[in-house]
Amino acid sequence: MTQMILCGRGGQGIVFLTRLLGDIATEKGLNVISSETHGMAVRGGSVNSHLKIGPFSSPLIRWGQADCLISLDSSETFNNKHFLKKDGVVFENSPTPSESDLYRVDATDIARSIGRIQLENVVLLGFSIFLSNFEISLEDIKRKLSGGSRHVTSEQNLVALKAGVRVAQALIQ
Amino acid sequence: MSTVKNDSPDLIRFLMGNEAIARGIIESGCALASAYPGTPSSEVMESLTRWKKELSHPIYLEWSINEKVAFEVAYGASLAGSRSAVIMKMVGLNVASDPLLSAAYLGVRGGLVVIVADDPGPHSSQTEQDSRFFAWFAKVPVYDPSSPAEALSMTRRAFELSEKYHIPVMLRPCLRVCHARQNVNMAGPLEPVNVGPFEKNWTKWAATPKFRLVLHGELNDKIRNISLEESDSQPLRISGPKESPLAIITSGSVSAHVKDIVDADSRLSEIPVYKVDTPYPVNQKVLQELIDSKTQTLVIEETYPVLELQLINKTKVRGRISGHVPQQGELTPEVVERIIMNFSGVETEESVSPTIRARRPSLCAGCPHRPAFFMIKKLFSESIFTGDIGCYTLGVNLGAVDTCLCMGASIGMASGFAHATNKTNDGHVVATIGDSTFFHAGVPALINAVHTGANFVLVLMDNNITAMTGGQPTPATNFLADGAPAVQVDMEKLIRGCGVKSLDVVDPYNYRALEEALSKAKLFSHEKKSGVSVVITRRDCIRSSSSSISNIRFQVGENCDRCMTCIRDLECPAISFVKQEKIVRIDLDLCSGCGFCVDVCPSQAIAAWRNLT
Repeated sequence: MTQMILCGRGGQGIVFLTRLLGDIATEKGLNVISSETHGMAVRGGSVNSHLKIGPFSSPLIRWGQADCLISLDSSETFNNKHFLKKDGVVFENSPTPSESDLYRVDATDIARSIGRIQLENVVLLGFSIFLSNFEISLEDIKRKLSGGSRHVTSEQNLVALKAGVRVAQALIQ
Repeated sequence: MSTVKNDSPDLIRFLMGNEAIARGIIESGCALASAYPGTPSSEVMESLTRWKKELSHPIYLEWSINEKVAFEVAYGASLAGSRSAVIMKMVGLNVASDPLLSAAYLGVRGGLVVIVADDPGPHSSQTEQDSRFFAWFAKVPVYDPSSPAEALSMTRRAFELSEKYHIPVMLRPCLRVCHARQNVNMAGPLEPVNVGPFEKNWTKWAATPKFRLVLHGELNDKIRNISLEESDSQPLRISGPKESPLAIITSGSVSAHVKDIVDADSRLSEIPVYKVDTPYPVNQKVLQELIDSKTQTLVIEETYPVLELQLINKTKVRGRISGHVPQQGELTPEVVERIIMNFSGVETEESVSPTIRARRPSLCAGCPHRPAFFMIKKLFSESIFTGDIGCYTLGVNLGAVDTCLCMGASIGMASGFAHATNKTNDGHVVATIGDSTFFHAGVPALINAVHTGANFVLVLMDNNITAMTGGQPTPATNFLADGAPAVQVDMEKLIRGCGVKSLDVVDPYNYRALEEALSKAKLFSHEKKSGVSVVITRRDCIRSSSSSISNIRFQVGENCDRCMTCIRDLECPAISFVKQEKIVRIDLDLCSGCGFCVDVCPSQAIAAWRNLT
C-alpha cells in the first residue's frame, strides 16, 4: 500500500505524474485510485493530486496518512504537509540543501539545462528510489517513459529521470 | 454490418471518472451526445471525441451553445429513436431546467441520460447545489456513482432504465468521481441502438395542458414503479454485519470515504454501511424497515438531504436535518470521520485544521485579457465593473471585476446598474464577458440592453475558445467537437444585428489601439449617452495551439523607480518584486513575451532583452 501526495502550481505537470504512476500500477494489475485538481486553480493556483495504491474506495488521502509528498514548488510543501504520516518523506523541488526526511533537488535548474522547463516533474520522480515498499520500480518508470509516442520527448524524459536518480543516489551516500 | 472497432474487450485502464462515463456512453450504443463545458464535467465530451475517433464509432457529438440547447438536441434525438446523452455541470442544469421538467412529463423514446456533475466545496462553481434535488423536483430517477468504475456501470444502467420506463434518467457524479482516476474494467463499444422511427402523436409530444395532466399521472406511476420494482432504489449493504444496533445509509462519492473509514477502524467494524444507487426515487418501505430495526441510523450524503427527506419517520435518524451533518461544505474524509465517531460514540482525538496559504489563481502571463482589464481600470477608474463566468473572472485580481453572478449576467446587470436611479461612483458601467459566455447567455441580454437604451460599455474578450474549461470550440470557431469543420458564426454581424451602433475590434496587445477604442466607447455610451457600445478585444488564448508566443524576452532596467505599477496594476505572474535585492524582476520561464508591460511602465524601464531563438 502506498499513499502519495503530488503538489505544485497549476501547469507544472502534476496530473501528468499522477497518470503516469497510475497507468503503471494499472498495467501491473494493482488497485489504484487517485484524485486531481482541475478548473480555475490550474491557472497558476495551488494544485495537488492524491494517489493511492491498495484496497481503497476513496480517492482522497486522509490527514496524517501519506507515505510521501512530491512537491514541485517549495511553498506548496507547507500547504500539504498535514497529509504526511509521522515517518513520511518529502521530495521537493528546491535549490536549498536537503534535511532529514526532506530530500531536495533543484529540478527547475536541471530541467532548464535539458532544455525543457516542463521536465521538473520527471526529475523529481527519480527520488522514488527512496521509497522502500513502493510497488513501482525505477525500471517500470523507465519502461513507461520510453514508450511515449514522441521520440524526442521520451529521450528528454529519460535524461530528466536519470538526473533525478543521480542526485538521489548522491544523497543516499 | 459492424463498422465499430473493438478495442480489446475486458481491458483494464486507469480512467478518470469523466472518461469512465464517456466509456459507458460508448458501451451503451448511444448515438448522440451534446454538452456545454463546465468544471467538473468537461472531460466527458473530450473523452467521447477520442473514442469516436479511435473506435470509428458513428456517435454524433457536439459542444452546444448552452445547456438548454444541448438538452433539446439530445431530447430530439431521443424522440427520433436514438439513445442520447447530454452532459453539463450543475449550474448548467439551472439553464436546462425548462426542457428537463417538461421532458419528464412527455417521456422519452431512445434512452436519454442527463449527466450533471456536482461540485461540493465548491471548488470551481458558484453554488453547492445538489442536482439530485433537481431530479426529485423534475420527478426523474438519479444515479449517484461513488467511483469511476461505478460511474461506467451506472451510465449503462441509466440507459437501460430510461428505455424501460420511457423516462429521462440523471447521472449525478460529484467532483470526487469526475476527477478521480481508477483502474476500470471496460467492455466493448456498442453500435448505436435505435428503438424505431418517430411516430407523430401531438397529444403526447406536443401535449396541451389538458393532456399534461394525464402525462403527470403517468409520470407519477413510473416513479412509483421504479421505487418499488428496481433493486437500485433499495439500500445495499457494502460493509459491516447485518445485525447491529446502529447503521449508516449513504450514497455517491461520500460513500467511498464512509466505507474506507469504517473498514480501517476496528472500533467501527460492527456498524453496517448501506448504499443506495438511486437516491431518488428510493424504496421508502424497505428503508423504513431498516431504520425501524436499528436504534439509530446516520444518513451521510452530498450535498442536500435527498435520501433523508424521503424517509417516512425520521425520529431515529441523524443527518443534516437533525444537525449532525454540516449544512454546507464538502464532506471530506476528515469531516466524515468526525461525524461517524460522534455517531458511534468512539472517543477520538480532535484533528486540528492545517493552515493553508494557497496560491491564488491568476490570468496566465501573456493572457490577452490582462491588457484589456488594465486599460479598463485605467480609463474607467471610478466606474462599476460587471463581470462574468470564465478565466476573466480573475479580473478581480486587477480590480476590474466587481460582480459575478452567472453566465451572461455581466450584460443584464450592467443594464440594471445603468437604469438604476441610484448611481454609484461616476455612474458609468463597464461589462466584461468572454466569447463563449457571450454566445451562451449574453446575446439576449445585449438585445435587451440595446432595446431599452442602456448606456454602458461592453468589452467582449474574444480569445476564440472556451478557455477556462480547457479549450472547447465556440460558435465562432472553425471546428466542431470532433474536429470536423464548422460553419463560423460572424460575431461582428451578430452584434450589429442586435442593434449595436458603436463597435470596435482591437488587438489587446496594442496599447494605443486599445486605449483609443475604449476612449471612443466611453464617449459614445457615457458622455453622449447614445446606448451600448461594444469593444471586442480579440487575440487567441495564450494556451491554445493557434496562439503565437513571442520569442522576445524583456528585462527591467535601471530606470525602474519601484513604483509597482507593473506589479499592482498589471498583476502579471511573470513580474515580481525581489524583497532581498529590492528589484523588480521578470521571470524568463513564466514570461510569454507579450511586451505589454513595456507600454505600462511609467518610467520606460522595461525593454527587450534577448531573442530566445
